[in-house]
Amino acid sequence: MNKDAQMRATINQKLIETGERERLKELLRAKLIECGWKDQLKAHCKDVIKEKGLEHVTVDDLVAEITPKGRALVPDSVKKELLQRIRTFLAQHASL
Amino acid sequence: MKMEDMSLSGLDNSKLEAIAHEIYTELVEDACLGLCFEVHRAVKCGYFFLDDTDPDSMKDFEIVDQPGVDIFGQVYNQWKNKECVCPNCSRSIAASRFAPHLEKCLGMGRNSSRIANRRIASSNNLNKSESDQEDNDDINDNDWSYGSEKKAKKRKSDKNPNSPRRSKSLKHKNGEIGGNPDPFKYSNSAGINYETLGPEELRTLLTTQCGVISEHTKKMCTRSLRCPQHTDEQRRAVRVYLLGPSASLPEAEGGVENDSFEVAESQALMSRLQWDGSSDISPSDSASSKASTNNSESRKTKKKKPHLGLVSGTPGLGSSKKKKPKPPPPHPQHL
Repeated sequence: MNKDAQMRATINQKLIETGERERLKELLRAKLIECGWKDQLKAHCKDVIKEKGLEHVTVDDLVAEITPKGRALVPDSVKKELLQRIRTFLAQHASL
Repeated sequence: MKMEDMSLSGLDNSKLEAIAHEIYTELVEDACLGLCFEVHRAVKCGYFFLDDTDPDSMKDFEIVDQPGVDIFGQVYNQWKNKECVCPNCSRSIAASRFAPHLEKCLGMGRNSSRIANRRIASSNNLNKSESDQEDNDDINDNDWSYGSEKKAKKRKSDKNPNSPRRSKSLKHKNGEIGGNPDPFKYSNSAGINYETLGPEELRTLLTTQCGVISEHTKKMCTRSLRCPQHTDEQRRAVRVYLLGPSASLPEAEGGVENDSFEVAESQALMSRLQWDGSSDISPSDSASSKASTNNSESRKTKKKKPHLGLVSGTPGLGSSKKKKPKPPPPHPQHL
C-alpha cells in the first residue's frame, strides 16, 4: 500500500515535470468545448442556480451538483482518446 | 530514479489501467471545477444570465430557411427590380444603372452629352435671351463637376475684397459717413489693370472713373468719380502719377456739376501747387499704407476732416465738400 502510494506520487510528479499533465488538460478542455459538454453543463448550472436562488449559490454547491453530471456527460470518444494518451505516457515511463 | 524504476517496472497491466483511469478522473474533475469557478464568478458578478432571452423574442429572430428568402425571411433580390426616374431626362432607369446614366445625362466626364446638347442648342438657337439664360444656368450649376465648383470658389474670392461688408467698413474708415449713397457701389467693382492701358485710354478712363489704384490688387477703381471709398486726394494723386503733374481732377475741366465746379478748380490749383513732380503711388484705401510724405499728408487730413470745412487751402477740402454741397465754397479766400 505504501509502495502503491509512492508509485502514484512519482507518476504524478513525472506528469507535471514533463508538462504532459498540462497538455492533457488543454486537450480535454478543447475536446469538451467542441462536443458541447460545456454548454450542457452550463445549462445544468442555470437550473441549479435558479433552484437555489441567485444570492445563495456557493462554489461547493455547484461542485457537488455539477461534478457527477460532468463526469457522466463526457463523450466516450473523448474518454477513450484521453485514456490512450495516458497509457502511452505510462508505457514510455515504465520502460525507463 | 532507482526507486521509480523499480516501482514502474513491477506493475502489471491492470494496475496501470487503474492508474490511467485515476488520472483521467482527476483531469475531468479539474475541468468540472474550472467550469464551476467560472460559473460561480459569472453569477456573483451578475453576467451569467445576460445572454438569456425569453423564447418569444427568440422566435422573432429565428433563422429562416426557405427557398427564395434570405435568413431574415426577406426576398433577397427585390431591389433588382427597382427603377429610378432620371430628373434630367425623366426616363426610368434600373437602379443599378442609374448612377452611370446620371453621369452621362448630367454631363460629368469627357463625353458629356449635356455639354454637347447645350452647344448644339446655343449654336442653333438665335434667340439671345434664351441662350443667355442657359449660360446663366451653366454658371450657377456647380453641383456636378469639381472644376466648376472650384471656379465658383475663385469667383467668390474675387468678389470678396469688394463685398458689401468690406466696402462699408472702408467707407467708415475714410470718414464719409452720411455721404450720399452711391448707386454704383456694388455694381462696378471689378477693377482695371492700368498697366495695360495706353495714355489715351487712361485719360478717357480717368475723366469718367475714380481710378484710384488699390494697394492690394494693383487695379484701378472703376466706380464713379465721386466714389465714397476713395478720397479726392487719392484720385488726384493717381492722376498726377499716371498723366503727369499737369493733370488734375476731371471735374475741373469737364464741369460735371455746377455746385462743385469752383471747388474742383481750386483743388486743381492747389494740387498743382502742392503736388507737382510727386510720383508716388496713390495712397491706398487702407490706413496701413507706408509712410511717404503723401500718405502721411492724406492721413492727417483724413483725421482732421470734421474741422476742415473752416480751414482753407488744404487739400483735404475736397473730401468735405460732399458733406456740405449747399453752402458756397470758400474759394475767394485762396483764389
